[in-house]
Amino acid sequence: MSESSAIKPEPVRRKLAAGPLSRGDKWFFRTTSIAANFSFVLVLFILVFLFIQAFPALSSQGLPFVYGSVWDNQADPMVMQIGPMIWGSVLIGAVGVVFATPLAIALAYLIVFLLSNRLGKIATALVDLLAALPSVIIGLWALFVFSPVAAEWASILHTYFGWFPLFQVSTADNGFGGSPFVAGWVVAIMIVPIVTSITREVFSQLDRDLINGALALGGSRFSTFRRVIFPTSAGAVVGAILLGLGRALGETVAIFYVLQLSFDINWGQILEPKGGAVASMILAKFGEADKAEVSGLIAAGLVLFILTLGINFLASVIVNRAQPWRKN
Amino acid sequence: MGFAPRPATQPWASVNKARTAYIVLASIVPIFLTALAVVFTHLNQNVALMGVFLPLQLLAACLVGFTSFGKRGVGDAALIVLVIFFATFVLVLLSSVVVALVTEGAKAMSWTFVSQNNIYVSNTTSLDYGGVGHAIIGTLLIVGITTLVTVPLGIAMAIYLTQSQSKTKGLIRTLTQAISGLPSVVAGLFIMSIALTLGWERSGVLGSMALLPLMLPTVARVAEEALRLVPVDLRYAALALGAPNYRAFFQVILPAAKSGLVTALLLGVARIIGETAPLLLTVPINNGTSWNVFSGNIMTLPAYVYGYLTSAFDSSQSRAWGAALVLMTLVALLFGAARYFSRTKSLKSKTTKQKASK
Repeated sequence: MSESSAIKPEPVRRKLAAGPLSRGDKWFFRTTSIAANFSFVLVLFILVFLFIQAFPALSSQGLPFVYGSVWDNQADPMVMQIGPMIWGSVLIGAVGVVFATPLAIALAYLIVFLLSNRLGKIATALVDLLAALPSVIIGLWALFVFSPVAAEWASILHTYFGWFPLFQVSTADNGFGGSPFVAGWVVAIMIVPIVTSITREVFSQLDRDLINGALALGGSRFSTFRRVIFPTSAGAVVGAILLGLGRALGETVAIFYVLQLSFDINWGQILEPKGGAVASMILAKFGEADKAEVSGLIAAGLVLFILTLGINFLASVIVNRAQPWRKN
Repeated sequence: MGFAPRPATQPWASVNKARTAYIVLASIVPIFLTALAVVFTHLNQNVALMGVFLPLQLLAACLVGFTSFGKRGVGDAALIVLVIFFATFVLVLLSSVVVALVTEGAKAMSWTFVSQNNIYVSNTTSLDYGGVGHAIIGTLLIVGITTLVTVPLGIAMAIYLTQSQSKTKGLIRTLTQAISGLPSVVAGLFIMSIALTLGWERSGVLGSMALLPLMLPTVARVAEEALRLVPVDLRYAALALGAPNYRAFFQVILPAAKSGLVTALLLGVARIIGETAPLLLTVPINNGTSWNVFSGNIMTLPAYVYGYLTSAFDSSQSRAWGAALVLMTLVALLFGAARYFSRTKSLKSKTTKQKASK
């Protein structure tokens, strides 16, 4: 080999770029890209403006704002702490998710694997209808129709399983109406549709050959569900449940009427009408709040936003990763 | 195990009549026993449902499963019983909401209630006077403004997500989905913070702004799916013929995806029309009719429901139910229209095919 050919400069790699050529196209893509990046701007704006207005409260209350459990708007330096509310939101969300998950998975299984195409479509439409119910209507129904029933369930649970720490109450005289149990049920009804729709989509996109193969190998419905359907879709289902949890934490009006607000941490006695939820508290206190208290409420909103955005983002990443067919 | 003698005409076993009888029996007996238990021991119905019916039904189904299919029938039977039980449970909850809405709401429903406003109406005024007319107007105005802004924005977002080559698409999609879980009260607080910072008065248009972040993810997601349904070949063909991207979109993709985009609009409106918390925080309520969203008080349907809900008087509660029924009717109309628009596409493609064959 001759030396000269080796020295020959390597040709510059041409980058294949197919950018918009005409002026119209440039504007077209510029506009759409601005619109798409509006998501970032929106999140940023929410954080910035909430922080500006929350700053007076956050700086005067310090860190105890998040974990303390006193809210006194009569004291001279106002004391505003939302520990019980944050914990209450998480507790209600957890209770709601525990109730909603089996319901949603059962519905998705029914729609995809048991019902005929036609009936499945009707069931899907009904689930979508449940999703479309405005939260104020759920709140109305929860207050007048559902909460007496749920309170009865709670009292039954207390009667038969009262020895279990989760179902203990200090006194049964308070009734069970305003408990996280009842609110958890209401929230569960609100999140069943979203968990169902994601789970249903994942179930229906599963490889049919895999399922038929499992059945052909002598698997029953149950063993196919346990060993094929569940393991392959578990990731997306977890994402869907997290997404539901995010919804549950932010649920406002639906549980506003059935929940008893008290600034007293409820560590897990789900039948005790004690505790609260951040969103409900904001709505309850907003009406007669003065400027300083509004700042505290906005700070509570900021905490709620950061909490839910974190959970929702994580959930969306999981769900999107588990649904490769949605990527282009 | 030997082979069963094959029937002469069909390669599969004929329907096992005994098994069918078992299944019918297993579906009837538990309900019957539970009913007996409730009638004779005055057992609480809820206790009977969870403590007697469900275990009995599971047991019966598992027995049938075992006798028909052996050990592997047990798991199947339990799975099917549980799935049907849970699904029925959700169905009962849903129908409970709908039935309560219709029966309670019908008490307030009249032309007066839908058309009049609430001036001179107190908590105890009879239902012959006053109604939700002003709230319907307010809701339509506020939601209309949000729609005007959000739909182009959401569709532009969907275009970006389906047609650009950008690398941040996945992130934007994820973030948009995360925003769809934005607590509605936070959306209200956000706009309120802007108003406090910039010194704006509370008004209807602030409510429209507060609804935007709630509507945007729905519109963007449904529109993205609608655009994705358009065969990519159509777009490539247009581009290959020398059309710039924007023309390819407006003249080829947009007409093809029209019904899907209308669905996106309708579902977006259905998503926000009942939002309450943001409006309570940003829009001052009113008993009279107002067409002015830029200043002054204006009423909305959710705020109307919210306002009358906790009143102890029967007529006020009826007003709340009535307004909720009106709201639900609007949602159902939007929803039905969305279904209609997302369905006509297949019909259309059939008719075009027929035309083409002629």
